[in-house]
Amino acid sequence: MPPAQTPPDAPDHRVASAFWPVLIGPGAILGLAVVGMAQPAPALVAAVVSGAAALALSRPRRRARVPSPIPGAVPAVAAESGPPFVAILDRLPDPLMVIAAEEADDLTGRRFLFANAAARDLFKIQRQGALLVTAVRNPRVLEAVDEALFGNVEGVVEFETGGAQGRSWLAHARPLKDAPGRSRLALLALRDETDARRSERTRADFLANASHELRTPLASLSGFIETLRGHAKDDPGARDKFLGIMLAQAERMSRLIDDLMSLSRIELNEHIAPLGRVDMAMAAIDVIDALAPQAREKGVTFDPVLPPRGGAVVDGDRDQIIQVIQNLVDNAIKYTPEHGVIRVEIFPGLSAEAAAAARDPAASRLSLLTPDHDAGERYAVLRVTDRGPGLAREHLPRLTERFYRVEGQKSGERSGTGLGLAIVKHIMNRHRGGLTVESVQGEGATFGVYLPMAKVGAEPAPAPPPAAPAEA
Amino acid sequence: MTEHTVKSYGEELAHLTAEVTRMGGLAEAQVADSIEAIARRDGPLAQAVVGGDERLDALQADIERKAFRLIALRQPMAMDLRHAVAALKISMSLERCGDMAKNIAKRALILTEADPMTALTRSIERMGRLVQGRLKDVLDAYTTSDLQRAIGVWSRDEEVDEHYNSIFRELLTYMMADPRTINACAHLLFVAKNLERIGDHATNIAEIIHFELTGEELVSQRPKLDAIAQ
Repeated sequence: MPPAQTPPDAPDHRVASAFWPVLIGPGAILGLAVVGMAQPAPALVAAVVSGAAALALSRPRRRARVPSPIPGAVPAVAAESGPPFVAILDRLPDPLMVIAAEEADDLTGRRFLFANAAARDLFKIQRQGALLVTAVRNPRVLEAVDEALFGNVEGVVEFETGGAQGRSWLAHARPLKDAPGRSRLALLALRDETDARRSERTRADFLANASHELRTPLASLSGFIETLRGHAKDDPGARDKFLGIMLAQAERMSRLIDDLMSLSRIELNEHIAPLGRVDMAMAAIDVIDALAPQAREKGVTFDPVLPPRGGAVVDGDRDQIIQVIQNLVDNAIKYTPEHGVIRVEIFPGLSAEAAAAARDPAASRLSLLTPDHDAGERYAVLRVTDRGPGLAREHLPRLTERFYRVEGQKSGERSGTGLGLAIVKHIMNRHRGGLTVESVQGEGATFGVYLPMAKVGAEPAPAPPPAAPAEA
Repeated sequence: MTEHTVKSYGEELAHLTAEVTRMGGLAEAQVADSIEAIARRDGPLAQAVVGGDERLDALQADIERKAFRLIALRQPMAMDLRHAVAALKISMSLERCGDMAKNIAKRALILTEADPMTALTRSIERMGRLVQGRLKDVLDAYTTSDLQRAIGVWSRDEEVDEHYNSIFRELLTYMMADPRTINACAHLLFVAKNLERIGDHATNIAEIIHFELTGEELVSQRPKLDAIAQ
């Protein structure tokens, strides 16, 4: 907490830079000079022979006032041979950290001597010399680091970092050659195992879901085939009727497989942020055009409230955003009675709180997905409102469950697969967005999705200043 | 250099925060493992959670001792005092979370002997992930002194309640439909209740953080849902 922490003083930087020779390999490179990381003044700190240099970090916990003595330090020059290693280590894709500590019972003594860019990003490490425990809390990892530091034992542990897009890691803790004095060093290297874990799990889920959900239509198909071979063989009227039902069942099975496949694909990539930009308004218009015949057939009309072109550009995968809008609008068409109106609105430039806020205080409302908190983020919100029967409060938390169906509700002839909202949720999570639902029973439901707006200037994209929020 | 360092006041405070954070990590892991034990019907893991609670208790006692010592000897004022008291209170909340994880693990041990009820344990798992996320968020807020993040956790309290209500109904339906499931369902009901309580502790910790950082109470104006009246 603020008052107690060591300020990031100059010696911290020196400690950090003097450390390189040790990391590169004990005794391997003598006389390295390393560039101080941020401080212009000791920009070229002449670090020393690997062993002696390590002394500089013997008391990293010390406050700035006492400069660390380096007994027998031999100033070295060779400035060129050092920095490349810094850059290389810093740019490695896997998180890599070096931890220094002195006494086993002193928690505040365990500090990061070095953390490469991937590690800083993952654990939000603000500066060199930050406490280990403020970044990594997992007891298994801490134990492995302790064993490496004080037991000289190598260890490998699995752990997960939480948050909306959780990841699985394999953490390797290895002791590094002890620095002279009482300081001890350990290397903590992480490897991303998310892909392997996810595909394992997704495969299991897919099999379980597919076998379970396909059984019903399959049973009905084989039932009709049996009837057609038996007593309905010579009854043309019954044959046509049964064939019609069989076709509908077969179509349902194929929709189900499509949805399951697309859900599996999305889940596999859920932790990878999407590339590309999408204009939400354009995407919404495309979806409305595509679904117009279906709406006409049912006698429902659209009431779009959209910002001008370029007004709501978000970071995202166009196909997936279209899929989200399509699933929401498709649902709305299914549940809206004849002559009903479906409202499709987009509001750009809202904060996360405003984006997730309720519109009707009387309605039951729930966040089905909330993005990780980021104060400065602006969101574009898309809301789809139908005039259907609405949803009772107790159903809201379970809407994104696979195959969850609200009892007593019929979605019409073209019955859904029960995966539409699950797909929406996973796509939104991949896009670091949110999903809300609001409903008054008997009056309809509103589904809202919100996505982080594309940063202006981050990429040459036609992005005029976002229109003023049309609604608080 | 002199080896017997007298720890400075600031270091002692930092040490207290570090201890609480470490304890938080342990509590988080206990909760995560207990949910995992329910979801995967993993007896040995449940056993490990039951055994691991002792460590949490020991850490809590240690933090309590250190906080009292610091308050008695250093007589901190204002922010520093709030800091020490927050460490004390948060550690107590975390210890309770650990107790509840232990209780969930004990029930997981019983449930592994009953027939699997995948649909129900899935709902519990989903609620568990939500609660875990809140605990993680609030501990992140504590380690980074992030007021906005703490308030975020505090204001999203209702999500857990909604899940609890939904599971409550689901379990009732099961029990009414098939009385043979009553035993297992009753255990799952307590598991859900424990998870809901852990969620409440996360909210409580968020309030403590708010007071620690600002010196003011978070006024309770959250839309509170009555779990039983529904």
